[in-house]
Amino acid sequence: MKKTATTGFSRRIFLGAAVTAAGLGLSGCAGGGSPAAGGNVELNFVYWGDSNRAKMTDAAIKVFEEKNPGITVKSEYQDSGPYADKLATRFAGGNPPDVLAMANRSLLEYAQRGTLADLKGLPELNLEKIPATVQSRGEVDGKLYGLATGVTTIGMVVNKTITDQAGVTIPDDKTWSWEDYAKFATEVTQKTGGKVYGAGYDVSTETGPILLARQRGEDFYTEDNKLGVSEDTIREWFQYSVDLRNAGGYPPAGFFEQIGGSPAQSYLAKGTVASQIIPINNFRGYNEAVQGDVVLLRMPGETTDKRRGYSADPTMLWSIAAKSKHPKEAAKLLDFLTNDADGAAETLTQRGVPINPDVAESITSKLSADDTTFVNMMAAIQEDDLPPAYVYPKGASVVADTLKQLATEVEFGRITPADAAKTFLEKSNAAINK
Amino acid sequence: MALLESPPTSATKPGKPSKQPKQADPEDALTGTRSTRFSRHLILCLVGLVMMYPLLWLISSSFKPSNDIFRQLGLWPDNWDFSNYAEGWTALNQPFHVYLINSMIVVVFSIIGNIFSCALAAYAFARMEFTGRKLFFALMLGTLMLPGHVLLVPQYIIFSQLGWLDTYLPLIVPNFMATNAFFIFLMVQFMKALPRELDDAAQIDGCGPFRTFLRVILPLCVPAMATTAIFTFISTWNEFFGPLLYIQNQDLYTVPLALRAFMDSEGQSMWGPMFAMSVVSIAPIIGFFIAGQKYLINGIATTGLK
Amino acid sequence: MSVLTKQAPGAAASLAAGPPGRRKRGTARRRNQRSGYLFLLPWFLGMLFTIIPFFASLYLAFTDYNLFTEPNFVGLANFQAMTEDPRLWQSLKVTFIYTFVSVPISLAVALLIALVLNRGLQGLAIYRSVYYLPSLLGGSVAIVMLWRYIFGNEGIVNSFLGLFGIAGPAWVTDPDFSLSTLIVLNVWTFGSPMVIFLAGLRQVPTMYYEAASIDGASRWRQFRNITIPLISPIIFFNLIMQLIGSFQTFTQGYVMSGGTGGPADSTLFYNLYLYQKGFTEFEMGYASAMAWLLLMIIAIFTAINFIASKFWVFYDN
Repeated sequence: MKKTATTGFSRRIFLGAAVTAAGLGLSGCAGGGSPAAGGNVELNFVYWGDSNRAKMTDAAIKVFEEKNPGITVKSEYQDSGPYADKLATRFAGGNPPDVLAMANRSLLEYAQRGTLADLKGLPELNLEKIPATVQSRGEVDGKLYGLATGVTTIGMVVNKTITDQAGVTIPDDKTWSWEDYAKFATEVTQKTGGKVYGAGYDVSTETGPILLARQRGEDFYTEDNKLGVSEDTIREWFQYSVDLRNAGGYPPAGFFEQIGGSPAQSYLAKGTVASQIIPINNFRGYNEAVQGDVVLLRMPGETTDKRRGYSADPTMLWSIAAKSKHPKEAAKLLDFLTNDADGAAETLTQRGVPINPDVAESITSKLSADDTTFVNMMAAIQEDDLPPAYVYPKGASVVADTLKQLATEVEFGRITPADAAKTFLEKSNAAINK
Repeated sequence: MALLESPPTSATKPGKPSKQPKQADPEDALTGTRSTRFSRHLILCLVGLVMMYPLLWLISSSFKPSNDIFRQLGLWPDNWDFSNYAEGWTALNQPFHVYLINSMIVVVFSIIGNIFSCALAAYAFARMEFTGRKLFFALMLGTLMLPGHVLLVPQYIIFSQLGWLDTYLPLIVPNFMATNAFFIFLMVQFMKALPRELDDAAQIDGCGPFRTFLRVILPLCVPAMATTAIFTFISTWNEFFGPLLYIQNQDLYTVPLALRAFMDSEGQSMWGPMFAMSVVSIAPIIGFFIAGQKYLINGIATTGLK
Repeated sequence: MSVLTKQAPGAAASLAAGPPGRRKRGTARRRNQRSGYLFLLPWFLGMLFTIIPFFASLYLAFTDYNLFTEPNFVGLANFQAMTEDPRLWQSLKVTFIYTFVSVPISLAVALLIALVLNRGLQGLAIYRSVYYLPSLLGGSVAIVMLWRYIFGNEGIVNSFLGLFGIAGPAWVTDPDFSLSTLIVLNVWTFGSPMVIFLAGLRQVPTMYYEAASIDGASRWRQFRNITIPLISPIIFFNLIMQLIGSFQTFTQGYVMSGGTGGPADSTLFYNLYLYQKGFTEFEMGYASAMAWLLLMIIAIFTAINFIASKFWVFYDN
């Protein structure tokens, strides 16, 4: 753990442990990871995902290792929940990985406690081509702690097979309002005889209200890392779902048993709802799971309110541990992941549209039809002038959990949207300002 | 260990006529009329079906295409898909049997360690008098009462300082040091239920405490040890958090870590292969239980003391 | 082996001497300090992995430890904050309800089934295995999906109720039902206490029943006067362990709610909230304080049980 290591607390533990271990002759049993062979640097690289993502990542790492002799990358991946637990424990135990994937929600929890390196201070990482709007999503106090792995945003997917059968036309998504969406959803429910609910989007994920807040001229999370959304916007977000449910366009309370989850588990795939909000990088997954005709639409309300709600959001972020023993090599890997077209040729849009425009351009010919749809929509959205967006503040996880909790209370009518909005602001502000 | 092969009790071979010596069962196997026995079986079978349902569902899902698993909830697959097994076996870094072997290594050592170290400690707590016994016992139970999550970081630091990260040592070595208070307490209770006369007689016979433990107490605790072995197998085989934290090399992953690699809760998951490999990974536990329950029920206190 | 066979007759004779109970005997207790410590040697070594972290967490309970930076001593601030934390009280409520409903039910079911399975009946080995199945499956992702689909809107439970024209509730997602669903689920996995009961029943020497049968005691009386007293140490063990385990319930709540304790905090178990505090909000000092509060609560209930056990648990000494 050396002097780089952690806290007085762990040193104290260490002392006790070391004394005991020495006394018992245990320390000799150490198996440890084998140190890298002479002159070779071994980087530890961790991310979340499944074995499919790992296969693509491994292929890219191979390219990196060929291009950078003397650097070996030892990678590891988990599903997001266990990944977060392990990451926290490793940082706490003074044994962090060198390069790691970070969730938007957690970035500042780590960064503001000095655990992450300032990426701007690493000359091996070339940031020239990276748009300022993307950099701002990993930036706090002029320091860059996280770099987007790629960008995505949310969109509305509609099962066109169902709407065609029901004889409902899908409104023009360039101009539709939230009222249009409600009308459309209610009509689908009516014309399918209640077998399919027109709307099945998730009320409890914060990406929805973030977009709505931006449309209404507010920043959900502000530039100075506070909560900027108004009580009225949150009330409106809840009220909308209540009204839509009462009109029949949205399923009754208790209908959704699995929020989030994979496309295969989705209600769109089951055919019990006709539309859903998704992170659009998952479009291919949904189209495959539905095995039908899924169309990808822009979110409603983009042209009917104060300003555009859309922003190009990091799918996740790459960070480098402040205590990495090989910051140079780590920066090289991060540079490769960001700026290398050959690497991107292996990972494609697995983690969103590459943030270096040249790299993004270079992979377009290799994409499947569905991924092309996603990339094109992302590009089209960014053509317009979008208001800036900022990094998630410390406490963002509590905000997300609070929204989830209150969404259920509203769903079962245990609290009014107005009270829910009030509670939401109280709890969220308390968590962020702590 | 010849005692272990003592004649089967009527519980395992109930059909034999009453030449068999009487067993611990309070009731004779052959009491009751035909119809009461039939209704007893009927009830047991019905309840058994409810208990079986999870496994049946799991097996059935493993033969469904990934997209059908959540859409078609019936037990009988509409479309049979046998490819899940082949696909799951090869989908990860290593073929799946590598993970099975890894888990088996950890499990075998954990069982050996738990049985020996916990039995030793239990004997001390159950039968011996020494200063601090009550305090140590309370401390041992106390470690059971503290939520494990607050221990993770300190434990991680200790193992990291010992240089044990990325090896099986953090998963195995503590088991040799009687760190599992559950099993100690279990064996204490079993040993306390044994008649004191056994120890006294052994002592008169000139046995020291260690011989008494080995020759008298241990053979009588076979059911408790079988319970420990079975529980250790199950909990070690299913354990996720320990391996998650301490193993970094994917080639050393145990089964639960490997299973989780099929899944990405924010994106696409390979459900079919995951269910197929779940079935594969449950087979050893069921096998071990079926094999181990023989010792669970052939208690020597009942057969050896006649 | 030879020792055993040699000793067995004498032991059996004294066993047969009378019904079990608390008997005073003048036999010399082994007062061998050294061998006591020798037997405990592995356990003492193991303290490195158990007792050091144990007391480390006690220290952290009085700090503002956040996992990443040096912990600062804050006195009783964490404990004070706990008294004003509504989610903490909610989690205590959830945990107490869960414990006091599910522990007695699962123990009773486990003992009942163990008694039934302990008699001579054809196919017992199969029944035993089948009844233990739900406990074998553990908490893997596949099993979690399974429970959700069993209690889901189109799951087998509601389909079954539908046969009788009953529209079942949303077992998992309705805050009014989610905790009861978890209790049912917990009772379903009565396998572990059942196995321990089975092992305990096998240690009851046969001769007591034989003697009782000769005396013409009814089955109920045999059960009350022989079985219960003789397996009372095992009942006691199961009670204590179920109590401790239940107070520390984590996995059930974690997997069913995806870690949130939802819907609407209705399955926010104490340990789940502690985990959220420690690993999601990085307030490990607060989480440690919570851990020690739980330890004290469990210790009180355990102590009460140990005291009460003097009146109903019979050891042979």
